Amino acid sequence: MSKPENTINVLYFAAASTAVGKTFESFPIPQDGLKLSELGELLISRHANTDLRKVLSTSQWSVDLEMIDNPELVLLKGGEEIAVICPVSGG
Amino acid sequence: MALTSPASVDAFLESPQAICALTHDRIDVQAVIASVQDDAAGATATFIGTTRNSFKGKIVTRLEYQAYSKIAIKTMADIANTAIESASCSQHQPSTVSGKVPSVIRCAIHHRLGTVPVGEPSIVIAVSSPHRKEAFVACEEILEEVKRKAQIWKREYYEGEDENEAEWKENA
Repeated sequence: MSKPENTINVLYFAAASTAVGKTFESFPIPQDGLKLSELGELLISRHANTDLRKVLSTSQWSVDLEMIDNPELVLLKGGEEIAVICPVSGG
Repeated sequence: MALTSPASVDAFLESPQAICALTHDRIDVQAVIASVQDDAAGATATFIGTTRNSFKGKIVTRLEYQAYSKIAIKTMADIANTAIESASCSQHQPSTVSGKVPSVIRCAIHHRLGTVPVGEPSIVIAVSSPHRKEAFVACEEILEEVKRKAQIWKREYYEGEDENEAEWKENA
């Protein structure tokens, strides 16, 4: 059975995955959408008693492989792949 | 060992002037250098980043890298293309040449994922150009931009410390 189209996929890496104890999760969002700027609180409520709030405070978002400069401008409708991009350390 | 994301996979993106790779295999430094070779190149600049055995007095036993590969490989390609475009024209060009010879010929960026033991390369960058200055400049610019922007994370493990407490590093 395919996922309903109002499901979003959230990817966690590095400190974010250590904080929540997983690398991804999927869940439905409201039919009329969810603001990206509200996603943080929603994820924190799904992972109470973790360090996720602290990790998110220094992290950026990506949506469908694009880094987001201004989360206030993004409305999620369902089907998106969102990632928590905590401070990077490659190279 | 840290949770491994299913998104932290090998990736490869090649264009005529830029080769970008994320790999769990040991990086073949000579192959990376060979991949930028060109008869028009008088210079090849190379950077190799290797796992160091210490950090602020603590003994490092290994590093682990993970990436959001689909986005990281695009970021690496953008960095390579920007470095190529911003390479300034060499003063060696005769005035009759209408800019057909590029200042940077080709670059390659290979970053390793997974466990990287002490002494082994985690990143290799090679840049070829007709003259040395552009190669050095582009190589350094690519390294600094990869450290700043590529969606890759490093975890450092120290001798005598609980592995579950190992820190995810953050580039300054």
